Amino acid sequence: MKVVITSVIVAVILASVFSLPVLAQESGTITITMTGVNDISISLDKTQWPLGEVAANTEYITSPPIEWCTLTVEGNCNVNTFIVGENAEWIDDPTAYEWTLSADGINGDNVYGLQFRISGDTTRGPLGDGYVPITKTQDEFWPYAGGSGSSLAPGDTKQFGLKLLTPTYFVGSRQMQTQITISAAAA
Amino acid sequence: MIRYVKLAGLIATLLVIFLPTFTLAKEFRFSISPAEIHVDDLPLGETSEFEITIHNKEELTHNFTLTTFQPPEEERREGRAEFPDDSWISFSSFEIEVAANSEAAVTVTITIPREPKWAGKEWETWLGVTAESRDLLTVQLYTRLLVSTTPAVGARPDTGLIVGIVVGIALFGCGSYYYYRRRT
Repeated sequence: MKVVITSVIVAVILASVFSLPVLAQESGTITITMTGVNDISISLDKTQWPLGEVAANTEYITSPPIEWCTLTVEGNCNVNTFIVGENAEWIDDPTAYEWTLSADGINGDNVYGLQFRISGDTTRGPLGDGYVPITKTQDEFWPYAGGSGSSLAPGDTKQFGLKLLTPTYFVGSRQMQTQITISAAAA
Repeated sequence: MIRYVKLAGLIATLLVIFLPTFTLAKEFRFSISPAEIHVDDLPLGETSEFEITIHNKEELTHNFTLTTFQPPEEERREGRAEFPDDSWISFSSFEIEVAANSEAAVTVTITIPREPKWAGKEWETWLGVTAESRDLLTVQLYTRLLVSTTPAVGARPDTGLIVGIVVGIALFGCGSYYYYRRRT
């Protein structure tokens, strides 16, 4: 009888030894960590480009061309920055008429191009002239793949300018509006 | 004369007012914190909450919108996969008004479905905060959200438990065998 009791006790102990760690995982601890001091911020010293009336199939460049706007890193962490554009919409009825933003900076009928150029960038972009198309897909602003630049540190600045290429054809006398978003994420 | 009138009409139709804003260019400043959040060992089916703080550094009240964004692979931290479903993340409000020179917090909630295929994963997604604006240029700031889940408990075989039961049965059997053998 003693052997049976001993066997049962040993069996229970063994089963517990193997199974308790497994069961214990059901009540795990969730760890939430906020990395670093963590304040992310960038600012732009210009947000508007008052062009007024524009003609078809014409190029417009900010003045000064590549030092028109200054991006400043104001938080306390290094950042990578990105840029994305969107279609230009007719202010009176955005769903009725728009200019499609070109995927390569080249214009067409009701298709317009937007490009940016960062001061000091002389060879970037498809034409190697420093101008990079702004598309509807978020892309690198600074740093960028293939470039020698690194992430921007707090206090760093980047100056840039814009180029607009209007559509080869568009419906006239309509106020159009678009937006370019410059974003930042911790490096 | 008719030719000139036609030409003038053509030019008029080709003109538009593009971004017709004549207000002075201005700087807009805000910040968000934290810049990066790690939620580690999140059990399947459970919920985790944290806050993102938006600091409006302007003299005017502004509205801010919150969204999720799937960063491309080259922008994600090493070893992190794409977050499978944005609907698992919710904000206490997708839009928040922040008074001048003050800050406000938005609560972010993450819930991972209790499905074995989501166990033991490491994901990254970005939470974007944008100041509502009609200007040509606008700023969006991202918080990196890195989530890892615990290994599935319910789905994986409890090897330890099975081994323990087998060993127990074996020992019980041996004990019983010896007991009855001794009695006979």
